[in-house]
Amino acid sequence: MKRETQNILLVLLGGALLKIALNGTYLRYVKPGQQAWLIAAGAVMVVIAFVSITRDVLAARKPEQVTAAVDDHGHDHGHGIQSHSTWLLILPVLAVFLAPPALGEDAVNRAAGRTPPPPAAEYSFPALPAGDVVDQRVMDFVDRAAWDKAGTLNDRNIRLTGFIAHNGDSTYLARLAIGCCAADAYPVKVKLEGQGLNTLVSDTWVKAVVRYQPGTSTKESRHVPTVTVTDFQSVPEPPDPYEY
Amino acid sequence: MTTVAADQEDTHHHPAPRKRRLPIGSLEILCVLLVAAVVFQDQLASLLSSEQIRTGATKFVAVCAQAIPFLVLGVLISGAIAAFVPPSVLRKVLPRRQALAVPVAGVAGVALPGCECASVPVSRRLIQQGVAPSVALAFLLAAPAVNPIVLVSTAVAFPGNPEMVLARFVGSLATAIVMGWLWARFGKLEWMAERALRRLPDRDGRSRWVTFVETARHDLVDSGGFLVIGGLTAAVLSVVVPASWLESLSGQIILGVIVMALLAVILAICSEADAFVAASLSMLPLLPRLVFLVVGPAVDVKLVALQAGTFGKKFAFRFAPMTFAVAIVCGVVAGLVVFGGVR
Repeated sequence: MKRETQNILLVLLGGALLKIALNGTYLRYVKPGQQAWLIAAGAVMVVIAFVSITRDVLAARKPEQVTAAVDDHGHDHGHGIQSHSTWLLILPVLAVFLAPPALGEDAVNRAAGRTPPPPAAEYSFPALPAGDVVDQRVMDFVDRAAWDKAGTLNDRNIRLTGFIAHNGDSTYLARLAIGCCAADAYPVKVKLEGQGLNTLVSDTWVKAVVRYQPGTSTKESRHVPTVTVTDFQSVPEPPDPYEY
Repeated sequence: MTTVAADQEDTHHHPAPRKRRLPIGSLEILCVLLVAAVVFQDQLASLLSSEQIRTGATKFVAVCAQAIPFLVLGVLISGAIAAFVPPSVLRKVLPRRQALAVPVAGVAGVALPGCECASVPVSRRLIQQGVAPSVALAFLLAAPAVNPIVLVSTAVAFPGNPEMVLARFVGSLATAIVMGWLWARFGKLEWMAERALRRLPDRDGRSRWVTFVETARHDLVDSGGFLVIGGLTAAVLSVVVPASWLESLSGQIILGVIVMALLAVILAICSEADAFVAASLSMLPLLPRLVFLVVGPAVDVKLVALQAGTFGKKFAFRFAPMTFAVAIVCGVVAGLVVFGGVR
């Protein structure tokens, strides 16, 4: 592959990284902390490519230095197969260009059931804040339902934010939790009970006020708690679709 | 265009008779590809209406967005070593005897925070700067697993089992050192692609900064494509392999260890995050999960693709299975010693 083509691919890929980092879509793929890394990496790629393009242009202008310039990169060029692989750099560029959406129902149903890791033996969950309705992350809710022996969730109205996922006859409010990037996402979900849940469209984002049905988060239910829905409203997809 | 524009494949040190070639070069192909992508944008976008492909595409972009910054960090360090660290310094710092230098390099891995993608270009650069391959390979295997970021995230992921951090450190370091020694004893240089061994020519008048930029650029272009292969494989496997695999493993230690080791290879999760995945698989005992953490940073599909690209296929097909076996053994032994039995 020509040096110029490589440089253009680098500019495209660096530009793609900068694009997702600056317009916020990077949150569909990685954690918020990755933004600075993405910007830095994108900038470095673009700078490297432009330095190299500038050097080539300058070298081309001064014929007496052409041989030296060729030697510069002649010594480390690839052989056949190796340089062909560079073509693959175009795939992430195209993929970013198509901007695949954040993971949703499909990823939730595809993943294996996972038990939330039990906390240390001496740990006890702090009391929930006072108030009629308390906001909780789905992750924390599932955690409490599974391991809280003191029953702090019982008889409390909790507001959860997540998207709708259907599996068989059951309807879930789900969220994907990521450790590092969307490739290691695992679902956290609660099973909803209430009227007219079957008609909800998959992957719509909702804020639901729910009450935990004590004793439903067991080994048999794979620690997916069942909740009664008391109030319900659709919300737009949050910019930051994952829990961490 | 002048000779500068000549294809790299055609640029030889000795003037060779130029082949007649079609007037279509890579630049033209790239332009056609880009125009086609714009014209057929709707068709491309409709690919994403399939749920499987959509999930796979998101995971693919995620792997790239996660790994490319670390690869860039790796090539910058590699460029800096090429430009600013003369081979004589490396020779002085490392013990002369390989048997001693291998553990030193393993422990030095603590100093490179990041995932496994960063360490591949760095260790190739070390070899090109005259460091013995066994020593550079020990560094390659140790760096992604024993650095502070990874150890801290392991501690955070296993709040109830601090011994996991120690077990992971010991298991990974042991894997790196054993592989280094094995290579020193049995490894053959001819397994490595010639390009991985080629010494850098003297800088003959070029400024250090030019060397820095050119080396970094070259490493990036070289390994970037292989990272993409790895990311693609990981994304496809995560969609295709049924998750029900793990269902019936809870009681079976030996099967659990083997399956978790294989899972580490095909999931290709970066080493900063794998502890969280392992922690969430709490239906399994600690030992198989430790093996998952020791194998993952040492060998996975993304890393094998990168190694094949960097050191050559002959190398990767020998090194990867060997590392896989050694990592399982080291993980199990470290677990038995630190946990005091199967837990």
